[in-house]
Amino acid sequence: MLELVFLVPFFAGIVAFFLPRNLGRPLLVIIGAIHLLLSVLIWVYRPDSMFPEYFGVSPEGLLSLLVISLLFFLISIYTTGYLKASNIKSEHIFTGSMLLFLSTMTLVTLSDHIMVMWIAIEATTLASAPLIYTHRTAASLEATWKYVLICSVGIAMALLGSVLITVSMDVGKVDVPVSFSALTAVAKSLDPMWLKAGFVFILVGYGTKMGLAPMHTWLPDAHSEAPSPASALLSGVLLNCAYLGIFKTNNIMVAAGLGDFSGAILMVFGLISILAAATFILKQTEYKRMLAYSSIENMGIIAFGTGVGGLAAYGAIICLIHHSLIKSSLFLTSGNILLGYGSRLIKGTGNLVNRMPKTFVAFFAGFAGISGFPPFGIFIGELFIIVGTFRAGHYVGVGIFILSLCVIFAGFANQMLKISFDDTDATIQLTESAGMVWPQYTLLLTSLLLCFWVPDTLYQTIIHAVTSTGGGF
Amino acid sequence: MNNPVDVILSLVLLSCLFSFGSSRLPGLIKVLAFQGVVVSIVPLFVDPHMTGGGILFTMVTLTIRGIVIPLCIYLAIKKVAIHREVEPIIGYHASMLAGLGLIVGATFVSHHFHVPASRAGVLLLPTAITVLVSGMFLLMARRNAIAMVLGYIMMENGIYLVGTTFSAHARHIVEFGILLDVLAGVMIMAIILQNIKRTFDDVDTALLRTLKE
Repeated sequence: MLELVFLVPFFAGIVAFFLPRNLGRPLLVIIGAIHLLLSVLIWVYRPDSMFPEYFGVSPEGLLSLLVISLLFFLISIYTTGYLKASNIKSEHIFTGSMLLFLSTMTLVTLSDHIMVMWIAIEATTLASAPLIYTHRTAASLEATWKYVLICSVGIAMALLGSVLITVSMDVGKVDVPVSFSALTAVAKSLDPMWLKAGFVFILVGYGTKMGLAPMHTWLPDAHSEAPSPASALLSGVLLNCAYLGIFKTNNIMVAAGLGDFSGAILMVFGLISILAAATFILKQTEYKRMLAYSSIENMGIIAFGTGVGGLAAYGAIICLIHHSLIKSSLFLTSGNILLGYGSRLIKGTGNLVNRMPKTFVAFFAGFAGISGFPPFGIFIGELFIIVGTFRAGHYVGVGIFILSLCVIFAGFANQMLKISFDDTDATIQLTESAGMVWPQYTLLLTSLLLCFWVPDTLYQTIIHAVTSTGGGF
Repeated sequence: MNNPVDVILSLVLLSCLFSFGSSRLPGLIKVLAFQGVVVSIVPLFVDPHMTGGGILFTMVTLTIRGIVIPLCIYLAIKKVAIHREVEPIIGYHASMLAGLGLIVGATFVSHHFHVPASRAGVLLLPTAITVLVSGMFLLMARRNAIAMVLGYIMMENGIYLVGTTFSAHARHIVEFGILLDVLAGVMIMAIILQNIKRTFDDVDTALLRTLKE
C-alpha cells in the first residue's frame, strides 16, 4: 500500500515515454489526482511498509509528501494549458520525466534507510535533468550540464557522509538497521567524531541540492532555463526533498547531544545563503533568475531556523510549507509572463497590470506572500524564526538575518514594480485561460487559508516533526 | 607487504598517478577501467566470510565499474569524434607531483583517524582518501568535459572503497541501488556530452560560460 504511491507514477512515467502527445497531457492530470488521493489515504491511515527497514512514514516525510502531491496535481493542470501554448518538440520525454520525477521525490519522502534516501535524492537529479533540457537551446544545455555535474558531485559527498555514519556505528559497536529512526533511537552510542564528519559531508552534499550558498551555483541556471511547470516543481518541492535529508540527519545529531555543533553549521550556511541571495537579487535582469535567488534565500531562512532550534525550528517548517505553495505559484505565473511577452528579461516586460490582469493578481499576491507580508504564512514563519533567534541569544545572526531580508525585499519590490507598471509596447501572445491562472490562485489561497485555520491533524504533525529536533514552543 | 589487500591497493594508487599523467582521453578511460576492476575486487580479499551472494555482487560491481561505465564514455567519445586531448589547466608534470604529495598527505592524515578494527591492510584509508581527492583534482584541473566525468567516476570509486571495506552494514540490494544510480548518472552525462559536442562542436567547458552573474 505504502509503496503504491511511488510505484504508480514510476510505471506511468515509463509508459508516458511511448505515448502520443495528446495522451500524455491527460495522463499527467490523472496520475496527479491518483497520487493526491493516495497521499491523503497515507496521511489518514499511516500504513506500514512492506519493507520496514527501508521505508517508513515520518511526520516530516508526510508533510513533504502532501505538499508534493498537492503541488503536482495543480501543476499538472497548469501544464496542460502550458504545453498547448508553447511549442515543445519532444513532449513525451517531458511528461515521462515529470512523472518519474514525481515518483523519485515521493520515494525521498518515504525512505527511512540512509542509503535509500541517497539513492532517491540522486534519482531526482537524474529524472529532472531531461526537464531542464526541454527547450533544446545552447543555454539550457549548459544549465543541464551544470545541474547534473554539480549535483552529482555534491550528492557524492552526501554518500560519503552516509558511509561515515555507518562507520560511526562500527566504532560505537552499534548493531541496528541503518535507518534514520533506528539511529536516532541509539544516537548516544554512536561515535561522535565520525558522526560529526558524516553530518558535515551530508550537509555539504544535500546542501548542494537544496541550493545553500556557496554550493548554489547550478540553481539559478537550472530554474531559469527549465520550462515553468518544471521550475515550479524544482523550486517548490525538490529543494524540500534535499532539506529532508539534512533535517533527518540533524535529528540524529540532536539525539546524540551534538545539536549545538550541527545547529551552528546550519546557521552559518543559512546566513551565507541569505546574504548571497541579497547580493545577487539586487541587480537581476531576468525575472525567473530573480525567483530562483529568492528560493536560495528561503532555503537559507529554513536552514537558519532549523539550526537555531526551538521556536525558530517551528517557524522553519511553516516557511517550508508556505514557500512551496507560494514559490511554485510564482514560477507558474512567470510561465504566463514568458509566454505572453516572449522575453525572459525584466526589460522586455511591463504594464502587466493592464496587459495580463489575471496573471498580475497571482504575481502580485505571490510577491506579497514570498516577501513576508502578512497575512501570508511566510510572515508568521519568519516572525517565529526572529523571535526564536532572539530567545536563543544569537543577536549578530538575527541582525544579519533581518538586514538581508530588508535588502531582498527592496530588490524584489523594485523589479516587481518594473514588471507590473512600467510602460511597454510589447504585444501579448497569450490568452489567460482559466487553467493557467486558477492553479496559482488555488496555491495562494491554500497558503492564505493555512494562516487562519490549521487543521488539528496538520498542527499535530508539524509539532511532532519539530519536537524531534528539539523545537516547538 | 604480506597482505594481498595492500598489493591490490598499491595498484589503485598507481592508477591515480597514471590518470594524472594521461594526456589523451582513451588512455585516461583505460586507466579508469583498470581502477574500476581493481577497486571492485578489494572486498573479495577483505572479507573472510564471503557468501555466494557476496561474490555474485562483487562480479556485478566489477562488470559495471570496470566494463560498462568506461565503455559508455568510450562509445560517447567515438560516436561524435570528440577532440582527444584532456586540455589541462594544471600541467601533467605538476599534476603528477601533486599526486605524489597527495599520497604522502593522505598517509599522514590517516594516522590521525581512529579507524575501526582493521580487517583491511594499512593502505586502505590512505588509498581511499587519495582516490577521492584525485577525482576532485581531475574535476578541477581539466577543462575537457569528459575528463570531468571521469573525475566524478573516480570520486565514486573512492567512496565505494570507503564504504565496502569499513562498514559491514550495507546490504547488497542497497549497494546495487547506489551502483545503478551511478550508472544511470554516467549514461545521462554521456548523452549530455554528445549534445554538447553537437551544439558547440567541442567539449571544452570554457565554452559553457554564458550563464553567470
